[in-house]
Amino acid sequence: MTDTPDISPIRTAVSKNLGARYRAELRFRAAGLAAVAAAVGILVILLSSIVSGGLPAFTVNELELTVDLDEELVDPSGERSEDSLRRGSYSRVLQNAIRTEFPEVTGRRELRNLFSLYTALNATRLMDEVLEDPGLIGTQHRFTMPLADDLDLYLKGLLVEERSFQPQGTLSLEPSDAGVVVRSTATDFRDLAAEIARTLRARATLLETEADRLTERAQELSGTEAEDMLYDADLNRRQAADIRARLEIDAGPIELDNSLPSILVESEGRTVRLASLARNGAGGTGEYLLGGDSVEAENAWSIQVIDTPVERRRVSDQLIVWTRALEERGAISSTFNTYLFANADSREPELAGVKGALYGSILTMIITIIISVPIGVFTALYLEEYAPKNRFTALIEVNINNLAAVPSIVFGLLGLAVFINAFGLPRSAPLVGGLVLSLMTLPTVIIATRAALKAVPQSIRQAALAVGASRTQTVFHHVLPLAAPGILTGAIIGLAQAMGETAPLLMIGMVAFIADAPTLGLEGFTEPATVMPVQIFLWSDGAERAFEARTAAAILVLLALMIGFNALAIYLRRRFERRW
Amino acid sequence: MSIIAIVALAIIVMLAGGFYVGRSRAISAVSGATARLHSLPNFHGYYVAIWTGLPAFILLAAYGMFGSGLVDRLTAMELRRDAAALTASFETALEADTETLALAETLAVLRDRADGVAEAMADLRSASGSDRDPARLEALQSEQTDLVNQLATAEDARLGRRAELRDGVSDEAAEAGASVRALAGFELAHAPRERRQLFLSDARRIATDGLASRASPELDAAAAVMRRHADQIRNLVAGIAIAIAFGGLIRTRGQVAAAFRARNHVESLVTAMLFLSSVIAIMTTIGIVFSLLFESLRFFSTVPLTEFLFGLQWSPQIALRADQVGQSGAFGAVPLFAGTAMITVIAMIVAVPIGLLSAIYLSEYAGPRFRLTAKPVLEILAGVPTVVYGFFALLTVGPAIRGFFAMIGIDDVVTQSALSAGLVMGVMIIPFISSLSDDVINSVPQSLRDGSYAMGATKSETIGRVIIPAALPGIVGAILLAVSRAVGETMIVVMAAGQGANLTANPLESVTTITVQIVMLLTGDQEFDSPKTLSAFALGLVLFVITLVMNVIALRVVQRYREKYD
Repeated sequence: MTDTPDISPIRTAVSKNLGARYRAELRFRAAGLAAVAAAVGILVILLSSIVSGGLPAFTVNELELTVDLDEELVDPSGERSEDSLRRGSYSRVLQNAIRTEFPEVTGRRELRNLFSLYTALNATRLMDEVLEDPGLIGTQHRFTMPLADDLDLYLKGLLVEERSFQPQGTLSLEPSDAGVVVRSTATDFRDLAAEIARTLRARATLLETEADRLTERAQELSGTEAEDMLYDADLNRRQAADIRARLEIDAGPIELDNSLPSILVESEGRTVRLASLARNGAGGTGEYLLGGDSVEAENAWSIQVIDTPVERRRVSDQLIVWTRALEERGAISSTFNTYLFANADSREPELAGVKGALYGSILTMIITIIISVPIGVFTALYLEEYAPKNRFTALIEVNINNLAAVPSIVFGLLGLAVFINAFGLPRSAPLVGGLVLSLMTLPTVIIATRAALKAVPQSIRQAALAVGASRTQTVFHHVLPLAAPGILTGAIIGLAQAMGETAPLLMIGMVAFIADAPTLGLEGFTEPATVMPVQIFLWSDGAERAFEARTAAAILVLLALMIGFNALAIYLRRRFERRW
Repeated sequence: MSIIAIVALAIIVMLAGGFYVGRSRAISAVSGATARLHSLPNFHGYYVAIWTGLPAFILLAAYGMFGSGLVDRLTAMELRRDAAALTASFETALEADTETLALAETLAVLRDRADGVAEAMADLRSASGSDRDPARLEALQSEQTDLVNQLATAEDARLGRRAELRDGVSDEAAEAGASVRALAGFELAHAPRERRQLFLSDARRIATDGLASRASPELDAAAAVMRRHADQIRNLVAGIAIAIAFGGLIRTRGQVAAAFRARNHVESLVTAMLFLSSVIAIMTTIGIVFSLLFESLRFFSTVPLTEFLFGLQWSPQIALRADQVGQSGAFGAVPLFAGTAMITVIAMIVAVPIGLLSAIYLSEYAGPRFRLTAKPVLEILAGVPTVVYGFFALLTVGPAIRGFFAMIGIDDVVTQSALSAGLVMGVMIIPFISSLSDDVINSVPQSLRDGSYAMGATKSETIGRVIIPAALPGIVGAILLAVSRAVGETMIVVMAAGQGANLTANPLESVTTITVQIVMLLTGDQEFDSPKTLSAFALGLVLFVITLVMNVIALRVVQRYREKYD
């Protein structure tokens, strides 16, 4: 025991650093965990942003109207032939129906505004219903159609900020030449008046500070630039002064314009939008948006404030009031959005659906499966089971590995140059799309199949060869069946990849706007079509805001399909996997 | 189509019949004692079936691929023959037209001048010392731009005059009562390319009772001719297919005998089929290389290679219409390369640390349960379609970045910026890097770890000083593969990076990449002869070469490394 070396100096040296080393260890470990958490967190954000964006598109607000299918309008020549029915004025029928809901609307502009509650394309849908059942002519028919996209968003609460008050006093409305005078016995509007005055004052202050900033900048510069700045500053000051003048105590009621929140007074089928607000908060003047008769001492009324000003939204107060009135009358109901699945693409978001793209995807995937799976499996079989080890085989192998990493868009260029320009195949067709995608998925299928073939133990082959089977018999009777689950899994994963691919299909013209779904049949392969991811790309570019939700909904459909495919692959792997 | 479908069905029936005939004939040849057969009865059946069905199906497939093209060509030929008289009168009108002649002369003069200027510029560029005069070069350049625009105007005028004459001839002929077929043929012979294609596709729709975009007697005449040709070719193909199938059946049926080596025949056919399949991969590569090279060479015949690779300005709007004459195209791809590089760098800054650290954590620290749940999550990230990432970048990340910078006082940030595209692309690449590095780290032998632990190293020290250095080549290979994927990624940048070809180092501005420009150039109207369209193929070639080189290097590195430890 005495000759043990004295290790205490080493021990002290080690233990001196030990705390720091353990802390470094902890830090590193935490960094690793943070990286995993970041990846998972991003996935969660990605999925939740798409789910929350897409869910509203799965419901739709439908407007149900009683349309009078007047024979003279619908069937101008009265012979009930398809030709004559097609010439009928169905948009007039719809217009009449909506006019009976709001008989007080008369002016041309007001009427045009009224007809924008729905899109004119619905007339075609009504025509299709009549063509299908000519017995409807002359009857009162209940016709449902989706509400215009912006109003649909409004009803879902996605378009504007709004709130409503329950007032204290009783209301009296008194029509006069300059509009309608609104009075409450209590000072129900006082808070609103104060709020708007505050907003205006803040705006004036902002303009003034901006003016001061501009003047300051102008002093550093010279020439026309400085002059322009001074001019702008002057303009700002004048605007601010205007606003302040409006707020002077003796300036009379506060004028409400399009840059301020809209204040609506609602009572029993009448709606008044205030154009000015009395300073004492007891009322104001305005105009009728709905109804038009005078009221004395009404108790049942409410104040509705739409905080998003008119100039910052796409729908007018008038349309909102009409929509609310229709909703109150029970003409509007929120249901599951069947249009999303039953329709192909459309310029109007409320009628646009994924059916065309879904059919296009199915047709394209059929071609891809027919081509890439057999060729991929055969290639893998040749390379694994038959090929002699020579330079040509090595070339094929290198080639396949490189092909797997070629950017997908290059396959699109190949498709454009070879299939479309050289072979003269039709543009935008699922046939060409499928060909391009099969070339793209080929390496994936080959690599997966080779892995599956490699996993089959050599003893199986030796046993088969030993009892006199030829090489082809060995491969097709023994190796291939045993490798089939693995091959299938690889093929499905490759196909799921192909189904989400967009870029190469843009090259071969599958980006066109196509309003009809392709036929699910032999002709469908050469008809112009689009596919799910391309539809997503097209919609994400859409000008209307409602397309945003449609895009997210289409993504959800695509993701559901891909999850289905991958789940199938996992199931097959679990079910048939055999470990040797 | 229906006749062809019936023929296909008939051939399938014959194929099944062939199998049965071959099999039963083989059995009866040895009167039931199948042991005396060289091959099993089934192989005789396969042999007969293959020779019955295969050639006929190849014929049908070829018809499906090229049939409509052939019909179009035959129709156009026939109608053009009818229009021979009209064509002749058009040509005489063209020759006699003084305006055309004058324009042709102007064009020739302009071309000469343009050649002269180009030569002078080349001389000036290669000159050295005092002869090198930048002011003169600039003057020549502006003169060249001017000439190009003049050329375009003159060419437009010539084409316009030609169209005028053509319409004149065709109107006159229509008034003089020429046949509609002749008029249709004239249209097919002399109209511009797009109009010809539209004409043919409308005629095809009418011929197949589809909805055409318009109707006219000429179209109806063309449709009638087309329908006749289509019927003829279809019937011919159907007849030949049946005949081949039948001939094959009869011929191979006669070969069936006890000593016939049916199995060897079938097996060599199978092997040949497998071999042909594996050649398709090579054919694809050859197809890619040749189609890109061919179109790129056409592009480089109008735009010099050096200008393409080193030019600083990219605006491919070459005068397509008369009102665009003011702009001549500029094909300097450096802004695109710079944009691609910037987005790739941003993506790597995101993906490499997260991907590598999570791979290390999952393979070295995490317990089996955690690993089993976290790995599939990363795989989901890899399975999300790129268009979804693009939408995410456009709708969530872009506005978030804009909001963030507005909050810290930078107001003019655009939603479509290099930063948002790069960040999201980085997310897309995380699983790619993590799964590749995971493989590499796992293949580092356990003995290296054990040695390090035995020395008293902590886990992080072992990772930092032993495992990472040992796995470095593989990790570098993984990163190279990831870079090549980032360079070739299309949808995220198309949707999130904007389109401005800015040469900038500011990641908050919108930039454009090689892939975005390929998409922009090839979607929408395209004329296959303009440098604008062809430049897309040149860009594709650059993209292909870049990714190919990176892949080859990466695969080499990874492979060499693997061999070291296996």
